[in-house]
Amino acid sequence: MIEILPPLLDALSYILVLILVALGLMIVFGMMGVINMAHGELFMVGAYVMVVCQSLGLPFLVGVLFSGILVGLLGLLIEAALIRHIYTRTLDTILATWGLSIALKQGIVLIFGPEAQSVISPLSDTVSLGEFSYPLYRLLLMGASIALIGLTFWLFLKTDFGLTARAVIARPDTAATLGINTRSLYRRSFVIGTTLAGIAGALVAPLISVDPQMGLGYLIPGFLSILVGGAGPLAGVLAGGAAVGGTNSLLTVWISPVAAQIAVFIMAILVIRLRPEGLLGGRRGK
Amino acid sequence: MGNNLVTVAIFAALAALPLFAGDYWTGQFTYYLIYGLFALSLSLVWGYGGILCLGQAIFFGTGGYLMAIVTKGMIFPDLTNSYLGLLVAITGPALLALALGWFLFAGRGIGGAYLAIVTLAIAVVLERLMSNWYALGGYNGLLDIPPLDIGLFGYSYELWDALPTYYVILAIVVTLFLALNILTRSSFGLVLTALRNHPDRLAFFGFSVLQIKLVVFAASAALAGLSGALFVTVDGFVSPTLIGFSLSTEVLIWVAIGGKEMLLAAFLGALLTRFSEGWLSELFGDFWTLILGLAFMASVVLLPRGLIATPLQALTRRRRPTPPPS
Repeated sequence: MIEILPPLLDALSYILVLILVALGLMIVFGMMGVINMAHGELFMVGAYVMVVCQSLGLPFLVGVLFSGILVGLLGLLIEAALIRHIYTRTLDTILATWGLSIALKQGIVLIFGPEAQSVISPLSDTVSLGEFSYPLYRLLLMGASIALIGLTFWLFLKTDFGLTARAVIARPDTAATLGINTRSLYRRSFVIGTTLAGIAGALVAPLISVDPQMGLGYLIPGFLSILVGGAGPLAGVLAGGAAVGGTNSLLTVWISPVAAQIAVFIMAILVIRLRPEGLLGGRRGK
Repeated sequence: MGNNLVTVAIFAALAALPLFAGDYWTGQFTYYLIYGLFALSLSLVWGYGGILCLGQAIFFGTGGYLMAIVTKGMIFPDLTNSYLGLLVAITGPALLALALGWFLFAGRGIGGAYLAIVTLAIAVVLERLMSNWYALGGYNGLLDIPPLDIGLFGYSYELWDALPTYYVILAIVVTLFLALNILTRSSFGLVLTALRNHPDRLAFFGFSVLQIKLVVFAASAALAGLSGALFVTVDGFVSPTLIGFSLSTEVLIWVAIGGKEMLLAAFLGALLTRFSEGWLSELFGDFWTLILGLAFMASVVLLPRGLIATPLQALTRRRRPTPPPS
């Protein structure tokens, strides 16, 4: 019984990070219909900000903070320069942000080189779980992710901002008629989504190899989570992230990474075929 | 009319190219022509059919692998005929597309953005699968794929030299380009435009949207498979990169930069992007990819019809009715 605990914990931490990434994607997609293919690269930029902060000798928490702020600012820039012009063209957002992702990736290659960077974990302690010891940092990462996910849900479900945001998601035109500035709301939501990606990147940086290709490894599972969970209610991301992340992570350990990817993919296809609205239903049903 | 003139001029220039260019550039342009054919396949399904397939390399790579398996005699050592290989490499991807399309489009199905993500995911998964499929060379791919053998009736003529290869490929590309032009101007082309613009109204008029989607998806996959097959005979080498993410991205950029709703523009998009890449990447080094990404972004936002299609349309608009809005 106890030997399956470490893989389960690993799976849980992967799921939580995946949900953080998918949540950002989902806010942007659910609200504005913008598919942000550069989301994975924003995640990557967050991790690289952490690399820089660490090489400057700044404390880890400051690095996380800087990652969030800088990637959020980058998001603001992207919204103002790019996304703003193509809000009404969903398919074009895929292409434009894909171009952006190529440019960001290559920008990182030009600055840091194509090789992987490493970030040292701020905590090298481990905690013992029966016969096994488990890195404390991973546990903290889970706690931080849960806090961030909770914060995002609180923001969208309990605050005035969240109420207006959900009004814009449900009926953009009606909301605009009622005097809500939808454009400014779009901008703020986009920045929230990118900030989440940046922080997620900074938080997992010590656990994975930080390289220019890392974004894609989270982007596709992130999108599949949204597909599987359903793009309607925010909670869909939780179900989708758990299903995709859990399958991927556990099968990677038990069988092989390739088998895991194929299984996740087949699962996603089956869900799309059998429940096009996703596990928790959603907007497409209306 | 003006459009035809431009087409003739471009293909005449391509036919005359080996007279001026050396063996090196002739060889390079053989590749560019194949990429152009690949771009045509994406233009057909995306620009005309309105199905955004982000994983078009799935079919290119499948065609390439099937061609390699047949002509290397990996299953039937006696049946290594190039024509048979091409046939398999065309029908295989088409059948794959039919199966995939049936799964994705049937019922309430998915479209638009969802479809784009799913096809991209398939490409990534397939690339991983091929990298780990050791019977098919795994990560290293398959080497020593024989060149095209265009002999008939027991005679054998293998395309080893750059010049005959170039003209054979050019002949194939020109034929298919003309066929596609006829197809898109036929009543089926009209149905495709309707599929892109108003699938609901198309269904209202009694057309089976699913059937049309499947036909165009399979036709595009067949074209992509053929271009993959031709590619491996010229290159002599097939590897997982041909089936995966980066090639899918590249073909998308060529077609988007060129202009997806115009076959000639998509074709030229591939040729010119690859040509400038071969020519300018030495000058710009690693900045080239950055420039390409930015150019892609700019063309999507500022010139959604494409960098090449816009001037081409302006050139030929005088005599043609205005194209339908996308």
